[in-house]
Amino acid sequence: MRKPVTFTRNRKEGRTAFLFVLPLVTVIVLFIVIPVLGTFWTGLFRDVTYLPTKFAYFSNYRRLLTDSDFWRSFRFTMLFVATAIPLEMALGMVFALILNERLRMRNALRATVLIPWAVPTIVAARTWELIYNYGYGLANYLIALLGLSDAPVNWLGSPVGAFFALILADVWKTTPFVAIILLAGLQTIPEEIYEQARVDGTNFLQRFFKITLPMLKPVIAVALIFRSIDTIRILDLIYVVTDGGPGGSTTSLSLYGYKYFNEGDFGYGSAIAVVVFVIAFLLSVSYLKVGGFGRAME
Amino acid sequence: MNEARVKKALLALGICFMLAFCLSPFVWMIVVSFGRNPDFLSGGVEFAATLGNYVDILTIKSLHFLEYLRNSLAVSGVVAVACAMVAALGAYAVSRIEFRGRMVLSLAVLAFSMFPQISLIGYLYKFMRSFGLINTYLALVFPYIAWTIPLGFWIMLSYMLRIPKAFDDAARADGAGRFMIFRKIILPVAAPGMFSAILLVFIAAFNEFLFALMLTTDQSARTIPVGIALFEGLHGEIPWGYIMAASTVASIPLVILAVAFQRYVIQDVTRGAIKG
Repeated sequence: MRKPVTFTRNRKEGRTAFLFVLPLVTVIVLFIVIPVLGTFWTGLFRDVTYLPTKFAYFSNYRRLLTDSDFWRSFRFTMLFVATAIPLEMALGMVFALILNERLRMRNALRATVLIPWAVPTIVAARTWELIYNYGYGLANYLIALLGLSDAPVNWLGSPVGAFFALILADVWKTTPFVAIILLAGLQTIPEEIYEQARVDGTNFLQRFFKITLPMLKPVIAVALIFRSIDTIRILDLIYVVTDGGPGGSTTSLSLYGYKYFNEGDFGYGSAIAVVVFVIAFLLSVSYLKVGGFGRAME
Repeated sequence: MNEARVKKALLALGICFMLAFCLSPFVWMIVVSFGRNPDFLSGGVEFAATLGNYVDILTIKSLHFLEYLRNSLAVSGVVAVACAMVAALGAYAVSRIEFRGRMVLSLAVLAFSMFPQISLIGYLYKFMRSFGLINTYLALVFPYIAWTIPLGFWIMLSYMLRIPKAFDDAARADGAGRFMIFRKIILPVAAPGMFSAILLVFIAAFNEFLFALMLTTDQSARTIPVGIALFEGLHGEIPWGYIMAASTVASIPLVILAVAFQRYVIQDVTRGAIKG
């Protein structure tokens, strides 16, 4: 249902609107749309420093198919998303439920949860890198303190250790965001529904599974896809903590692409970047559908 | 009833875990930044408190810390204000002028926020290089504005959609033009939205890493995140005391902003992700 239009649509209004959106459209076209198209285009070339640039059809993409390092970083990225996101969602839900309680220190708790969100990713990455330090990191100190292991753990020295070290650091940084989103969802559930359920003699676990979870479903879906899009392109955390190691086992797709750009191989780097783009784009389309954005404007 | 007690216990447990989880790395960073020796947990070494790391990063010129900080503040500040302004203009048109494509435009802007940075940076690098802009503020300012526009736009749009159109009608009846209405009526009413957009965009720009990593080469334009990521000792060792002190200096302003204005942050981070 369209609301009654206050101003009649006419040509002069259209011109005014055009002027208002012009700066926004210009900056987006110049610095987002054209670079993305440029990346697609460059992916079709042999574009390496010290060699003449030449059109190479799909040879960069053919090379991707047989590049085992590419497939390893593809598998790593997918596994990383599949591990980090459920943890973030579960923990974010716990935090959101706590923050939604009527507590006297609620504002202080909310402020605390915002800290990991506000800390720059690179700062968080450096801090976690030190936490995982073999000789004097906090992680090995706590493990010794609790008597969990006799010898210190070389967290970043094995592929599995490095994987879960990165997962924990990522979950720390991103859970607050999930919690904030889910909290907004929780606040839209009317208190009367819970009152009624209480009268009916349900316990809080039943209320969570029968009321909270079903009513939060749309918000959960949005948070899930939003976080997936963000995690698919992960780079900065990994760049600092492991730089893709040990032995390239934690190289994400974005980091893999960056390494080619950094060496001056723009053709192959662009082909990798296109793959990241396509995955993120497919997720975005589902996000726009799930989020029901069109409705917000009516 | 027993349920209330179980719930209370679970809640207390949850709160303890939440506080420990969120705070411990942050506290650890601050503790190490005040230590003479980052290896004080390795047994046999005592923790020795010092301000030395802070004094050093602020006074040793070859570390370039103050230059990185200046670059970050300048770039993020300009980007935050410019982005909020551009976003406000666009959001004004979309929220109150009936023109063809306003829906498509809004959705497209949202979609652009999901483009991975890696899919832009290769071309941006070549573009900036061809104009000789590598290692200048301009190389960062324009891509940052474009990259943060979706955030600013959706925040401004949600504020403007709630301002009654009657405001515009009354002013138009008095003969005011669109731009006059925007500047004199809507912008002041939407000031909290502007503030929020500036705040969140500033934080996003201050945090950005990949663009800054590729588009700057030294202290004349390099930003704090890149500086901290590439911090190395003179002899190849990692100077943890310096890094944690620099990290603390870089984080404290953001943490204070986020905590002081948590109402805006919580409200508008959500707006960016969940429609209007």
